[in-house]
Amino acid sequence: MITARRKTGLIFFPAYDWEISPSHPERQERLLYTQDQVMEEGVLDIDGISEFKAGLATEKDICRPHFCVPDVESRITPSHSVSAGGCIEAARLVLDGTVDNAFALVRPPGHHAMRVVHGARGFCNINIEAVMIEWVRKHYPHIRKIAVVDTDCHHGDGTQDVYWHDPNVLYISLHQDGRTLYPGSGFPEEFGGPNALGKNLNIPLPPRTSDEGILHVMEHFVMPVLKDFEPDLIINSAGQDNHYSDPITNMSFTAGGYARLNEILAPDICVLEGGYSIEAALPYVNTGIILALAGVDYSYIREPDLDPERIREDPRVIDYIRNLTDDLLDLWSRREHFERPQEEFFRRSRNIFYDTDGISENQHEVVRVCTECPGAYRIDSSASTGYHVLAIHIPWGACSRCREQGLAWFEKPDRKNYYAVYLQDMDNDEYSVKIL
Amino acid sequence: MIIGIDIGGTHTDAVCVDGRNITATAKTVTGDDLVHTIRDAIEALAIDFSKISRTVLSTTLSTNSIIEKKYAPAGMIVSAGPGIDPRRYFFTDDFHLVEGAIDHRGREYIPIRADEVARVAGILKKKGVDGVGIVSKFSVRNPSHEIAIHSIINSEFEHVSLGHTLSGGLNFPRRIHTTFFNTAVMPVQKRFVHSVRKALAELGIRSPLLFLKADGGTFSDSAADRHPVETILSGPAASMMGGLALCRDPQTTTLMLDIGGTTTDIGVLIGGVPILEPKGVDIGGLKTLVRGLKVMSVGAGGDSCVRVSGSEILVGPDRDGPPACMGGPSPTPMDALAVLGQFTKGDRQKAVQAVTPIAGRLGQDLSDVCRRIISILVDNIKKSACAFIDEVNRHPVYTIYEMLHPEIVEPGQLMAIGGPAAQLKPHLEESFGMRCTVPEHAMVANALGAALARTTRQITLTADTQLRRMICPELGIDEQIPASMALSDLRRRGERELRDNADRLGISAQGEISVLEEQVFNIVRGFSTTGRNMRLKLQTKPGVIEEWSAL
Repeated sequence: MITARRKTGLIFFPAYDWEISPSHPERQERLLYTQDQVMEEGVLDIDGISEFKAGLATEKDICRPHFCVPDVESRITPSHSVSAGGCIEAARLVLDGTVDNAFALVRPPGHHAMRVVHGARGFCNINIEAVMIEWVRKHYPHIRKIAVVDTDCHHGDGTQDVYWHDPNVLYISLHQDGRTLYPGSGFPEEFGGPNALGKNLNIPLPPRTSDEGILHVMEHFVMPVLKDFEPDLIINSAGQDNHYSDPITNMSFTAGGYARLNEILAPDICVLEGGYSIEAALPYVNTGIILALAGVDYSYIREPDLDPERIREDPRVIDYIRNLTDDLLDLWSRREHFERPQEEFFRRSRNIFYDTDGISENQHEVVRVCTECPGAYRIDSSASTGYHVLAIHIPWGACSRCREQGLAWFEKPDRKNYYAVYLQDMDNDEYSVKIL
Repeated sequence: MIIGIDIGGTHTDAVCVDGRNITATAKTVTGDDLVHTIRDAIEALAIDFSKISRTVLSTTLSTNSIIEKKYAPAGMIVSAGPGIDPRRYFFTDDFHLVEGAIDHRGREYIPIRADEVARVAGILKKKGVDGVGIVSKFSVRNPSHEIAIHSIINSEFEHVSLGHTLSGGLNFPRRIHTTFFNTAVMPVQKRFVHSVRKALAELGIRSPLLFLKADGGTFSDSAADRHPVETILSGPAASMMGGLALCRDPQTTTLMLDIGGTTTDIGVLIGGVPILEPKGVDIGGLKTLVRGLKVMSVGAGGDSCVRVSGSEILVGPDRDGPPACMGGPSPTPMDALAVLGQFTKGDRQKAVQAVTPIAGRLGQDLSDVCRRIISILVDNIKKSACAFIDEVNRHPVYTIYEMLHPEIVEPGQLMAIGGPAAQLKPHLEESFGMRCTVPEHAMVANALGAALARTTRQITLTADTQLRRMICPELGIDEQIPASMALSDLRRRGERELRDNADRLGISAQGEISVLEEQVFNIVRGFSTTGRNMRLKLQTKPGVIEEWSAL
């Protein structure tokens, strides 16, 4: 009998009856072989590792981080409620002290879903980590600072977007360089909104980066940053498409490397994101992550076809990563000294493409530059679906001026032709919509 | 006529059933020689032995030999490959790890080395070990390594068990434990089966001999020879099956309570079928793949010790001895019942003497204290029953359909058997707020459960149309299939195999077959489907034989 050093909760929800399409990477049997491996290894019989049932996220849970257009019901399927609900259960287990840490091994994933949701992007409809984080902030107000370390091979542009203006949620993403992979974003200069400068950190890695490179970033950048930030809760968005066998990416991470990453990071909660090498990677990576979380020896976990020499990085790749890490650490150390915009309102406009659903969206965003609180903001969003909406966010701990500004935006929209105006009032946990 | 015998720790019960009638019952003391005890119990039934159509035994033999570690030394030859270090599951020096690895789809990626296996077998042989268990990881997806190891060592050992034949379930550590226990108890079980057969023959009984298993089903004596590990924990299974046999309304979800002196066993019957442990039962502190009923045992019974702590009364979880009214050392719930005039067998005066000091210390009226003691006992049982039901309902589900349409288990009635059941019935009804039935033959429910249980067996079929391979570990089937095989073909094939192999599986060929699980998944390469991965679990349905339930 093996005893775990830490109590670990597993929420396993493979959604065996949900797929985007039968041959799509995000399909029914994605976690089948993972389940086989975890069962055969007897992982759930290890004293201290327990499996728990997923839950269902409510409409309100989804409205906290998202403006779903036209409404929540039309943007999700029940599978998304369960996947986000699984994350909520994982957080509940940890924060109630039932377990020391938890792994939401759920699907569908969520890290490409942004604050405004017109459809699905990168296989994601709603951001399951964000639904969980906002649920945590509502129900456990003592959790003030949260860090999300996203190790999926793709840049988590959705999570970056949801927390762009939030100084209390630190988002760190390690991903394959956006010049070589979807979604094409995630560069160091994407550093956070004017009220949250330095709270968004991107580490784009060259294709074929393997264990040494990724673990170097963890030890020499992510851990020092976390030490400075002092988060109350650490989340790993544990996408597994950085594996050497993944069919849609070009990195060379291993199951053993992933287990070591989680041993170093020691997250409170892991959430599965992408990862489409369903036979050759996921069974081993997931087993490794669970063991690392529980503090059980994972050193014998290895892929059947692993050849460390074949996937080892070129020394130039390691040099590049060392330099990048040093530069980023320097940037981080100067985060307090960046100049904020002088004007009261800061504006940005951008175009967002929903690859999964083929929708394009135009956003005009206005944020109140504020030294008292994270700042209220409004997003004017029009999509190729025909919906043109105004979305207003009044943040947690909003100061009175930001609250007044947010309410004014909501009460008196600047134009009449919006389909609807939405309001997120976080402190009052109120999510309103006015159809015009 | 069917004879059912339940050999308990202290008493052995026997019952004779003819159609829907219990024609004889007997109770004897369990002696050191179990074969003698069985003989005594059958003789005590005083029936015409020539009319017996079968004899079913529920014994503690394998359970006790495992718990008391009274088994023959057995060696293990295990191949694993990468994964959790299998040596963590080794608990004697006779466990040997050899090379060889198979992946989750049953593909070999490290072969077995015959010279290494032969060397290990030599070491075991030299130590005088007669039994060997053979286990490889993922052998239920590809048994070839276990079979290869067996063929290398074949003639050298008397008792051999292969992991894949014992269960089709995935779980390598449990497969190691199950195979070890099976091998270790094999000699003692073989001897026992042989002696019982001989004793029955001497009595003129030549009809089939069956054994009750942990899952509340039975199998033939020859199957029990090969798979003795399945007879563990048949005691609780016997009581659940007895309760089921005596239940008048089995279609209502029933909470079964077997209330003994020391403990109460709690189980649930849904639609006339008891629920199973999803992964397998635990024994001797280890987890196995043995299919068994889900039963919770709590330290609350008629003889539970009653104590005072401050202003609290504590009942159980231990037992000091019999109730004071039956000559025991300390007050018990039975004494409280005796004081209230609800239990009349014992000496009421002794009960009063035992409970009075408690009433004195609490400054309460004697009969009030007695009512309190009983309600605490009933509450303890209820709390555990609620936790048990809660655990059943917390079982994770893996599909959206099940998530949105949860099947909540909610008992609608109680069924209580065991010594104090009749006296506690009104108190249970009040506390649980539902009807409680205490059946007429509750005293021999266990023996009755053994007599009336159907034969059961489960088989697992996995078909991979891309690898063109079908496996049924329990039957040792590993064969090529056409790429066109569909789930319905696999189901038909499984049903045929269950019937054709009834003898080998130790079951009745007439049993009703039911599907426990079936799943089919696409296998995709690139962006096109290249095959199907199908999984099927079939069983002969557990329950009470039709001759009894149909009438």
